Amino acid sequence: MALSRKCVPFTPFDGELARSTVAIVSAGGVHLREQEPFNIADELGDLTFRVIPDDADSQQLMVTHHHYDHADADQDINVVFPLDALRDLKSEGFIGEVARKHVGYMGYTMQLKAMYEGTAPEIANEIDRGSRADAVVLTGG
Amino acid sequence: MRGIPTVLITVSPEVSAQMRPPRALYPKGFKVGNSTGRPGMRELQRQVLRDALRLLTENTRPGSFVTREYPEYGEQYAPPRVRK
Repeated sequence: MALSRKCVPFTPFDGELARSTVAIVSAGGVHLREQEPFNIADELGDLTFRVIPDDADSQQLMVTHHHYDHADADQDINVVFPLDALRDLKSEGFIGEVARKHVGYMGYTMQLKAMYEGTAPEIANEIDRGSRADAVVLTGG
Repeated sequence: MRGIPTVLITVSPEVSAQMRPPRALYPKGFKVGNSTGRPGMRELQRQVLRDALRLLTENTRPGSFVTREYPEYGEQYAPPRVRK
C-alpha cells in the first residue's frame, strides 16, 4: 500500500474541450429536494450518493452537510455545484455538452476504506455508464 | 474500467493534497463553501470553471495544484490547515 499512496491516479485527457462532455461530481452534500437527504445524524458519515440528471432545475438542488457553512450554496448552488455555469459554458461553446448525469455525495466520513473501495468506484461506474462524460469536475464544499 | 480524466476545484489545498488529486485548481483566498465564488457572481463562477477545465489540456504535474487569483472575489480567506 505504501507505493499506491505515492501514486497519483492520472488519466490523460486527449480530447478538445469544445467537443467534450463534462460532468460534475461534488462532495458538497448536494442533492435534489425530492431526493433523500444525506444522513447527518450518523457520526460515521453517509456513504451513499445521489444522481442528478442533466435537466435538473438548479433551484431544486440543496445541500445536506454539517461540516461546512453552506449558507452561500443555499442562496446559489453554483458556488459548490456549478451546473448553471456549466450550461453557460456549453452555450458559449467552451465545452461540447453537459453530461446526462452528475453526482452529489457528502464528503465527510469516518469510513474512509468503505468510501474509497465502495462509494468511489460506484460513483465512477455511474459516471462511466450513465453520463457519457469525457471529463469530470470535482468540487468539495 | 478505463479511467476518467478529472480536475478538482478546491478551496482547501492542503487538505485536498492528502488525496493526491491528478489535477487541481485553488482559487486563492476563496472560503470553504465558495468553490467557484460567491452567490450570484456567475461570470466569476464561469471563469473558475473555465480555468479548471483548461487544466485538462495543460501539462500539469499530477498531484500538484495550480493557484489562480481572482480579485473580483473580494475579501480573502486563509485556507483550512491539516491538523497534525
